[in-house]
Amino acid sequence: MSVEVTRIKKFAEMSIVIMLILGIITLALAPATGHYRGFYLSVFLGSVIVVVSIVYLPIVHMKKSENIKEVAVPAMQSLWVSTSMGLGYVVTALAPYFQITFPIAVILFIVGWIMLLYGTYALLRLSKEAKVPLAV
Amino acid sequence: MSQPSKEVRDIYGDYATLTVPPEELRSTLNVFMVYMGVLAVVAAIFAGSGLAQMYDPATTIKVALIGNTMLAVFGGLIAYIGGSTRANTYLLLRYPLGRIGAMIGSLVVSALPLIIWFAVETWLFGITVNVIYPGHPLTSIAAASAWGGILMMLTAYYGFRAIALLSYITVPFWYALIVIGFFGAVDISGGFSALWAARPEHIAPLGVGITYVFGLYASGCVITSDVARYGVKRWSGSIAWGAHVLIFMTVLLFTGAAMTILTGSPNVIVAIAKIGLGVGALLLAILGQWTTNDNNLWSASLAWINIVGKLNKRQWVIIIGVIGTAIAAIWGGVYGMSLDPFIAFGTFLGYFIPPVGATLIADYYIISRYLLKRQYRFGPGTKYGVINVPGIISIIAGGLAGWGATTFGLRLPTGVGTFDAIIVSFLLYLVLAVIMYKTTGKIEVGEWVEKPTGF
Repeated sequence: MSVEVTRIKKFAEMSIVIMLILGIITLALAPATGHYRGFYLSVFLGSVIVVVSIVYLPIVHMKKSENIKEVAVPAMQSLWVSTSMGLGYVVTALAPYFQITFPIAVILFIVGWIMLLYGTYALLRLSKEAKVPLAV
Repeated sequence: MSQPSKEVRDIYGDYATLTVPPEELRSTLNVFMVYMGVLAVVAAIFAGSGLAQMYDPATTIKVALIGNTMLAVFGGLIAYIGGSTRANTYLLLRYPLGRIGAMIGSLVVSALPLIIWFAVETWLFGITVNVIYPGHPLTSIAAASAWGGILMMLTAYYGFRAIALLSYITVPFWYALIVIGFFGAVDISGGFSALWAARPEHIAPLGVGITYVFGLYASGCVITSDVARYGVKRWSGSIAWGAHVLIFMTVLLFTGAAMTILTGSPNVIVAIAKIGLGVGALLLAILGQWTTNDNNLWSASLAWINIVGKLNKRQWVIIIGVIGTAIAAIWGGVYGMSLDPFIAFGTFLGYFIPPVGATLIADYYIISRYLLKRQYRFGPGTKYGVINVPGIISIIAGGLAGWGATTFGLRLPTGVGTFDAIIVSFLLYLVLAVIMYKTTGKIEVGEWVEKPTGF
């Protein structure tokens, strides 16, 4: 495997792991949300992030191809879903319906922003370096 | 199947008049995601509201599943043609309708209806903004339709990367939001027992609902090749289409119906507001509408290029965008008139779209394979008939049959307008093609040679 492909593969794996860790943090915060609505929201969005990351990480890790696109495409699909769920935390964490306690809502809001910004950066970088269109 | 050589330039963009080259093919999951992005529209949830006014929740699921199974089969057959030939809808129609016939088909399938649906979506955008932020001059339906239409037009014209990225990121959460909205509505409205106990005063016959569901997306089935042509396997598009329609369309229809039943609001945006999911969620719903309308503009411009062969996609975006925005803002907004006449015309055209798909299926799977012994080939120098006579007659007859069955109660095999239109055009095409071939030795008149641009 060429140095270039190895470098992009490492970046892709690291990005998925970062999303996985952030997803686990939001899952861990679920019991502290203070209301069953906030609890279910965190469990739902967090589970999507964790499951998608766990499914895609071995797929990306086991790719032995020299074709950079074959590594970038599954990684981008995983990041797409995770980033989107991050956006979900940004727009729902402080919504009145969920009645999440303010400190936890703020943490979820911040974690959501981190996921959104980092995910966007990772998607754009992978798209640019692997020359894969964003709509993967 | 021929692939464009390196010398053939994609001057219109997005392989509008060419087949997709092998290096551009994408995975089945990828094709599935693209279909999901197309489906992520507020209109799909609004359609569920329509079912809520006809059925109880259990019957809604039954009707949605039957209608969507039919959509999966019909669209899947057409997607397979796109996956096998790597050609978009407008290229494929050159065989069952002829080269000029394909232009007419493109006009009926996309070029005209998409202008109307662009106008309708822009108008709905104006209404949505007005619901969320009432009482400001800039958020009146007319003003919001005007600036909304202009923004949609400009983002489609310039392809703003930030908007494209945001809409792309929005899609997965949009589905999550629908699930959250559904459970939120159940939560604040008395739980599942209240949902299952709800029923309208009169339950409509099953056939009415199945027609409704099938009619919602029958036109979408006809253009499945536009996405399926990128599938890495011949069947990628068929599998992706079937899964997304059968599972996600059913879920969207049911959640739309449930939210209407539980919140009492036929407007899903109002329903989300009532639940208290926050302004951010509402803005995302608007973004979904926005990006869908971007796609309407792009698809319509693709069709017009194939019809006229002049101007590029961006120029068509402006022309179509100005017309659509004017209809939404002036007709719908300033004069406060309903867009029903436009919707009625779009619906009338809609009767002729499924017959186009039926004729394509009949030609590809039966007539071309067993009678004419030809393969679908595309590329510079390829010869097509100018008019495929049985094809044109079949779509006109099928469309009129569907219109007659629905509007005037014309008694046809199934009594369901869209199915009747499909059955009539499918059978008529087979019969006319065989008769014409046996008597004249061909089914097309004239000859059109494809130019280096693919036109």
